[in-house]
Amino acid sequence: METETMVPVTVLTGYLGAGKTTLLNRILTYEHGKKVAVIINEFGEVGIDNQLVIDADEEIFEMNNGCICCTVRGDLIRIIGNLMKRRDKFDHLVIETTGLADPAPVIQTFFMDEDMREQTQLDAVVTVVDTKHISQHWDAEEVQEQIAFADVILLNKVDLVEAANLNELEQRIRGMNAMAKIYRTRNSEVEMDAILGVNAFDLNQALEIDPEFLSETAHEHDETVSSMALVESQPLDGEKLNIWMGELLRTHGPDIFRMKGILNIAGEEHRMVFQGVHMFFDGKADRLWKPGETRKSELVFIGRHLEDMSLTESFRACVVN
Amino acid sequence: MPKKQDLLELQWSSSLSEYVTAIAWSNQGQTLAASSASGEIVIYHGDSGEAIQLQAGCGQSINCLSFSVNGEFLATAGQEGIVRIWQMDTNPPQLWSELEYQRVWIDRLEWHPQDPELVFSLGRYAQVWNVPTKEILTTLNFEWSSVLDLTWHPQGKDLALSGNQGIKIWKREDWDNDPQVWHTGTVNQAIAWSSDGDYLASGNRDRTLLVWQWGNPYPWQMQGFPGKVGQLAWSKPTAQLKTPLLATMSSTAVVVWQKSVDEAVGWEAKVLDWHTQKVNAIAFKPGSLLLTSASEDGRVYLSQNTNRVGQMLKGAPQGFSCLNWDPQGRYLAAGGQHGEVLVWTTSRRGQGFG
Repeated sequence: METETMVPVTVLTGYLGAGKTTLLNRILTYEHGKKVAVIINEFGEVGIDNQLVIDADEEIFEMNNGCICCTVRGDLIRIIGNLMKRRDKFDHLVIETTGLADPAPVIQTFFMDEDMREQTQLDAVVTVVDTKHISQHWDAEEVQEQIAFADVILLNKVDLVEAANLNELEQRIRGMNAMAKIYRTRNSEVEMDAILGVNAFDLNQALEIDPEFLSETAHEHDETVSSMALVESQPLDGEKLNIWMGELLRTHGPDIFRMKGILNIAGEEHRMVFQGVHMFFDGKADRLWKPGETRKSELVFIGRHLEDMSLTESFRACVVN
Repeated sequence: MPKKQDLLELQWSSSLSEYVTAIAWSNQGQTLAASSASGEIVIYHGDSGEAIQLQAGCGQSINCLSFSVNGEFLATAGQEGIVRIWQMDTNPPQLWSELEYQRVWIDRLEWHPQDPELVFSLGRYAQVWNVPTKEILTTLNFEWSSVLDLTWHPQGKDLALSGNQGIKIWKREDWDNDPQVWHTGTVNQAIAWSSDGDYLASGNRDRTLLVWQWGNPYPWQMQGFPGKVGQLAWSKPTAQLKTPLLATMSSTAVVVWQKSVDEAVGWEAKVLDWHTQKVNAIAFKPGSLLLTSASEDGRVYLSQNTNRVGQMLKGAPQGFSCLNWDPQGRYLAAGGQHGEVLVWTTSRRGQGFG
């Protein structure tokens, strides 16, 4: 039997006019040796004549009555299922969402639908930010969520913004999303390696929290969306941790956008790693702790109103007595 | 053991350049049509396998094809957004008519069970087309999502469309009237009427199956499937079996439902779990309870009496994609993921000399 490889999927988000289409055209014209299929939700913007550019209207399917954590994109399931019959014709899939799209159903599609899970692997969520105009859109929920869900953020149009403003903006974005890699770009010019083949959803990928974020003692919380890191050197009680996580997702799932972590469980010689998107949770035993390695747990949450969830206290209660 | 007349042997085989997306028999079983993900359309003589290519591959998939009830027309459609009608009573077949749409993949089409009228999906809409007069009879708005499946009632008076959140059923005699609406709260991805038209079944994304008795808005709900419920197949009613069997496929399993004589029990399931990879197509042999299933594991199984393997067929090592019996039950055709087209027929060895 043939062993088929999963097709990596890059999700491209960003507000209208941020530079998504410019980036997409770069991906399509760049000689990276990859055959890229593209699904777009805004017709007529891609300036390249390519058989493998498919236009689709966003269709949100609820999998479980009314729960936003269980929505998927029906259009993507249908189109990708169709494309997969010619999987030898492309080796990377890029999905460009509209500026107003909620990224969560797109991401959840690749975890919740059995066919998508079997055939595709989400590579990264790449968000393009218009540094010149974002101040006008801060209040839009989509803008905040596109930043919060991102693995890679391009601060675009930096040539149009003063350095001081840019630093302030980056600081603010870092406060919302402590996990994403941030690049400053003009005209969406970025190394392809920075956005394709990122493996951000691969549990084997090391957790990377911006060290500056960790070292800061206080974060400004003028945004409803923020990041929070929890670090604990005492070993955790696996059972307590399970109960805590279950309860947290049940009560706050809709407000927790993404989470990632490495756990040091008492009596366990392996590191445990996990990630989550809303109520979807995925975890496994990782490599053995190395001799002499400092065992500790590190978790990052990105979400809305995290400060109301008493995360620090309730997590600390999971430490072995 | 299966009866000898149920054993099949290979009659002929052929190949297309890519994944076989659909196969269909003309009503008399004389012609087989097959299409591929690269857009080829080929028709074969049912008995000899002699081929005529109607259309070469253009790179855009043909997703569905079907013969009209008297075999006069073949309808094809796919990613190009073009519905093509081929006139089959000329030699070679000629293009009779085509309809072209922008920015839409056409995934589903079905001929009316008695008349040369074709319904096809068009994103959130479906259109009904009178083919001889080339007149669009109606455009129906499903509204809730793209139309995921569509099917005529066997008596031809009703047309059901399914998609996200439910099923809508229009009356053919009055297309402009509001449809009957069944809210299901799930994604109804495959629907099928029993051949007597007494039941409508819906296979759903949330791993459930719904079955309505026609006229009763409250369905039975069946659960416990290993995955999304895909294609459905009803057996024809037999003397012993008043209510037909309903076969469903879900992940690697084929699940066959039989209505219990005890109303309180409802429907009872038997799981056929001999496939090792996803099942892509199922079909009953016409006029019998012999069930065939084709899977990505590269095998077609014939299951008699729903509980044991009668025969195993191979020929698509990378997996089967589709399968179909000719309406007379003489030929079984299957398509493969690497372009294989195979036709088996009833074993002649098993037949007596009178």
